[in-house]
Amino acid sequence: MNKKKTVRISLLVLAAVLVLLEAVAIIVAWPGPPAGTAPGTVQNDKKAAAKLKAETAALDKKIGALAPKAVFIVIDSARNTLTLETGKEVLFQAVVSCGSGSILEEPGGKRKWIFDTPRGEFQVKSKVVDPTWVKPDWAFIEEGKEIPIKREERFEAGVLGDYALGFGDGYFIHGTLYSRLLGRSVTHGCVRVGDKELKAIYQAASIGTKIYIY
Amino acid sequence: MPFGRMMRGCGFRVLAVVGVLSSLVPAWGADQRASFENRLAKEELLLAKTPSLYFIVYLKSKMIALRSRGMTLHKWKVQSIHVWGDAPPLGALTLEKKSTLFPPKRAKIKPAAKEEEAATFELEALELKDMPSRFTLFLSGGIRVFVRPKAGAFFPRLGNLGHLIVWNLWLPLKNLSFELKKKPFAAIDIKLEQKEDGQAIYWALPDGVKGLVFPL
Repeated sequence: MNKKKTVRISLLVLAAVLVLLEAVAIIVAWPGPPAGTAPGTVQNDKKAAAKLKAETAALDKKIGALAPKAVFIVIDSARNTLTLETGKEVLFQAVVSCGSGSILEEPGGKRKWIFDTPRGEFQVKSKVVDPTWVKPDWAFIEEGKEIPIKREERFEAGVLGDYALGFGDGYFIHGTLYSRLLGRSVTHGCVRVGDKELKAIYQAASIGTKIYIY
Repeated sequence: MPFGRMMRGCGFRVLAVVGVLSSLVPAWGADQRASFENRLAKEELLLAKTPSLYFIVYLKSKMIALRSRGMTLHKWKVQSIHVWGDAPPLGALTLEKKSTLFPPKRAKIKPAAKEEEAATFELEALELKDMPSRFTLFLSGGIRVFVRPKAGAFFPRLGNLGHLIVWNLWLPLKNLSFELKKKPFAAIDIKLEQKEDGQAIYWALPDGVKGLVFPL
C-alpha cells in the first residue's frame, strides 16, 4: 500500500515538475520585442518622426530607382511562365519550358551537369535570327555519341526556332520543335518559347533588357 | 543559471511580453511603425543593390514576398503566423538549409547506349508538384521557419497535429535549452492557404538566398 502511494506521489511530483518546466519554457519562449526597438529608440517628438518618414520616403525612392525603366522579362521557372512587362503593365504572358533539374554524369564520372535554369537577374546579351545550335559536350554524352573534335560537327540548325536571345553562360530563350511540352520542365536549362511569343519577345527586347528568373 | 535568478528574469520577461503584446497585436504606435519602415527600407536597399533575388517575410501583414531590385516578383499570402523565442534581427538573414521529411530527388539521366534509345529518350522532370509543402527553413541567427499548408484531408490533419505538439511542447523546451546555452533561437510557424504555395516557396528559395523577416 505504502509503495503504491510512493509511486503515485512520485508520478504526481514528476508531472508537476514537467508542467512547471513547460510553463517556464513557454514564458521564456514568448516572443520578445524586435531588436533595436527598445522604448528608448522610438522617436516621440513630431519633428523626429517627420524626419524619419522623409528619410524612409527617400530610401523607398532609391529602391524604386533600381527597378528597370524599360521593358523586362520575368520567368517563373516553377510554373513555366514568361511575362513581358514594363513595371506598370503586363504586355503579355507565355507558357514556356524551363530546366528539368535532372543530372547527367559523364561515363567515368569526370564531369557532371545539373540541368537547372539559373535564377536571379540577367540581361539579354545577344540576339540571333535563325540560330544554329552549337551542341555542347553533354548533348553528345546524353545521346551516347562520341564528342566530336571538329567544331563544325557540333552545329545543328533548325532546333532552336526562328530566334534566340542569349543571357549568358550558354543559356538562351529560344524556340522549340516540341511545343507539346511547353509548360513542362524539360529543358537543359534554356527557356523554350512557342513560335508566336518568341517573335514578340525578340521584337520587344533589346541588348541589355533585364531578365528576372525565379 | 540558478532557478531563482531565471525566474526573476522571467518576471521581467512577462512584463516585457505584456508590453510588447499590447503594442504588437492591435497596432504599434505610429512612430514605432515609422521606425520599422525606415529600418526595412535601409535593409532592403542593401539587398536590392545586388543582382540576387531576396525574400521578405512580413509577420504582421502575413505575407512572403520574393523580390529583386525592389520589385515583387511573387508574393504568397499566409493564413497564420506564430512566433516563439527571440525576435528575428532586423537585418539580412541567409537561408542556410531547407529540411523536409521527403526531399525532392533529381532524376539521373542515363546516357543512351544506342541511336534508337536516343530517339525515344524522354527527360524526367523535377517539377513544382514534386516539391514538399511541409518543410523547415533554417535561417542564420538560429531562426527556424516552419512552413505547412492548411490541413484538409486526414493525413495532413494528422501531420498538423504532430506539428502542434512539437510547436507547443517541444519548441519552448528547445528554446529554453538555447537560452541557457546563451544561443539565439527563434521559431516562426507559417500556415499557408494552399499546398501549392508551400511547394512554390520551397522551389523559389534556394539555399544561400538572403532575406528579411520583418515585424511589419
